[in-house]
Amino acid sequence: MPDIRELGPQGRGMLHEGWSTEVADYVIVCGWALEGNAFLVGDAAGGLYAFEGKSGTTLWHRKEVHEGGILAMSIHPDGHIFATAGQDGRVLIWKSKEGESNKALEIGKGWVEHLQWSPDGQFLAVVFSHYVYVFGADGKEHWRSDKHLSTVSAVAWSKSNELATACYGRVTFYDVIRDQVNQKLEWQGSLVSMVLSPDGDIVACGSQDNSVHFWRRSTAQDAEMTGYPGKPSQLAFDQTGMVLATGGGERITVWSFQGNGPEGTVPGELDLHIGAISSLAFSNRGSLLASGSRDGSVFVWLLQKNGHGEPLGGAFVGGRVEAIAWRPDDCALAAVNANGGINVWDFKNRIKTSPKGFS
Amino acid sequence: MKGTQKVPVTILTGFLGSGKTTLLNKILSEEHGKRIAVIENEYGEVGIDQGLVINADEEVFEMSNGCICCTVRGDLIRVLGNLMKRRDKFDYVLVETTGLADPGPVAQTFFMDDEIRSEFSLDGIVTLVDAAHIDQQLGRSDESSEQVAFADVLVLNKTDLVSDESLDTLEARLRDMNRMARVVRSKQADVSVETVLNLGAFDLDQVLERRPSFLEPEYPFEWTGVFQLEPGRYEVSLEEGPDPMMSLVVVADQGTDEESLNEGAESCVRLYAESAELLHPGDKIPLNKHVNLQLQSEGRKSFSLEVEKSGHLGLFTQHTAEEFDIKVRRMDTSVSESGSNQQNDLLIPPIAERTWVAQHEHDDEVGSIAIERLGDVDPEKLNKWLGRLLSEKGVDILGQRGLLVMQASRGE
Repeated sequence: MPDIRELGPQGRGMLHEGWSTEVADYVIVCGWALEGNAFLVGDAAGGLYAFEGKSGTTLWHRKEVHEGGILAMSIHPDGHIFATAGQDGRVLIWKSKEGESNKALEIGKGWVEHLQWSPDGQFLAVVFSHYVYVFGADGKEHWRSDKHLSTVSAVAWSKSNELATACYGRVTFYDVIRDQVNQKLEWQGSLVSMVLSPDGDIVACGSQDNSVHFWRRSTAQDAEMTGYPGKPSQLAFDQTGMVLATGGGERITVWSFQGNGPEGTVPGELDLHIGAISSLAFSNRGSLLASGSRDGSVFVWLLQKNGHGEPLGGAFVGGRVEAIAWRPDDCALAAVNANGGINVWDFKNRIKTSPKGFS
Repeated sequence: MKGTQKVPVTILTGFLGSGKTTLLNKILSEEHGKRIAVIENEYGEVGIDQGLVINADEEVFEMSNGCICCTVRGDLIRVLGNLMKRRDKFDYVLVETTGLADPGPVAQTFFMDDEIRSEFSLDGIVTLVDAAHIDQQLGRSDESSEQVAFADVLVLNKTDLVSDESLDTLEARLRDMNRMARVVRSKQADVSVETVLNLGAFDLDQVLERRPSFLEPEYPFEWTGVFQLEPGRYEVSLEEGPDPMMSLVVVADQGTDEESLNEGAESCVRLYAESAELLHPGDKIPLNKHVNLQLQSEGRKSFSLEVEKSGHLGLFTQHTAEEFDIKVRRMDTSVSESGSNQQNDLLIPPIAERTWVAQHEHDDEVGSIAIERLGDVDPEKLNKWLGRLLSEKGVDILGQRGLLVMQASRGE
């Protein structure tokens, strides 16, 4: 196992030094907009920044956009607008290029913790306490959920009109146009995270009791994967829906859905981080997994269909990696951390390299 | 990461009207140089003037395994998880729970959730007690008893509304439920900040000076059964119980009314004070003598008992009859006509029985014990003991804390 500090912020292996910068506070959210030409960052002080994608030059900077700090950001599929939410109970819709907000939605007195644009960009799902709201890009409210059993912990769109919500004891699928419940998946446990497979059939949830629970919607089969040392807050499906990467400890556990799996199979384990996994992201195409840890390390892995994988590169950024994002063309990877650091590496993803090239 | 100090968290519990908001406001307005974040579950009428205040609904999350020790407070995990990202803006967290909150899940949150555990430390639980109303509350709800039992500090508030005499009685009652807590009296929640914050430091400095002078003697037995017996031979049999050994005193002429039972108990304490004679299964149990029944072998074990004149025999047992399924049977009755299949008929039920544990706690459902021993701790033995204690009695244990002195290990 390499000493992760020796990796340095510039990166090793297939991670090549791109640009880096720093913002005032703990970075909470990040994402690519404008076809990868802008990298957006929001911090715990409510600061919002846009950096030019290739150089890192600041495009614009707004201060204290949400009093108490930013909690969530979702970039519209077209990349030209995005939404932010915070502890001030508001949702703001922004123009990516200008950094101007022309819509402010007052949701209520409390935190707005999750946001998600639908795949067609028509709707924005907003999580506020026990409720989920759906707004149009014009800021008009289209739909509101009934009261959930607890504060909603995650949302995901399975289709452009179907929204999944997770809370204590339940995942619910809502048709937000017909205003009806399509499916309820129940399980007594506190669900802390949720992802859907790209075809929407598999629902995977991390649970407070250090397990991952998943359901196949088509067959109503469910299974529970236990034995994690911590709670698996980080989950990521690859684009084929074949492998599910999960955190919940220092190791990344990868379940493969090929054949009859993952029930009864041994998962792949990716073991280089020395702190617990704090973020996971699959590339937009192909099975490249990027992982960040509380220890400040970032690794990129090439995964096989059976869930096993080899590292392609790594870096050490010094602070807990809060979020990680592949540029839409997968030729750059960005990580933001607790110290306010932003690192972007070039990733030449079509070049073949020895998997152990960096060690 | 290592080297980062954990943020201390104080939990403030107590029934509605006990003065939590008043206390909170006092702490926040006092000049102590600390930046305090407050998580509020109870939407009090009195606004909190300063500081970072976050409202959150109480959310108790039970796990699918059904283990109550794994039950946590989802709202705290969520709010603290977000708060830790702005930790440079505060150095202390105060959690104000509702009067109905069970402190168990609150405390467990700081041990069960790996992320919260790595960033925050539970500094202490402060329970406000309304001196004028607590008597009724303790009788009515489990939560108030548990809030008392869990506390590191008990603030006996509104003392101006109650006579000194009843305050002393109340304090004694609270002491019985929680011997480790520090009790502070106040009128309008006017206690110093140090009473509530940084209790960990307080603990380390002062816990060694605390003497358990308030420890009252307890009866060394938990159960008494009185049996009406005619002259003859009897069998006392026991199943496997929680202990491989159980001590016992059998006394003659034990009365069955409350007063006689208490008298019998008193005199038995003296017998229990004498060293016990070890008896093996099959041995005869002598009267008015402290004996220790050896119960290591498997299955039901029997001991014999001889009665010379008819009367009431009292069995004072270290554990309850239920725990060992203690049975008394007549042995020497001429075998009845139909043969030996009449054993059930020979079973003699007690004409009176008394469990002593409950009385000790004065009918409050929660109690506490303190164990104090000098010398080094063998971590392996301690671990083994704790493991067994938790596996057998885990559900009955509300909380435990201790100060252990370990001998520094030598070498690697």
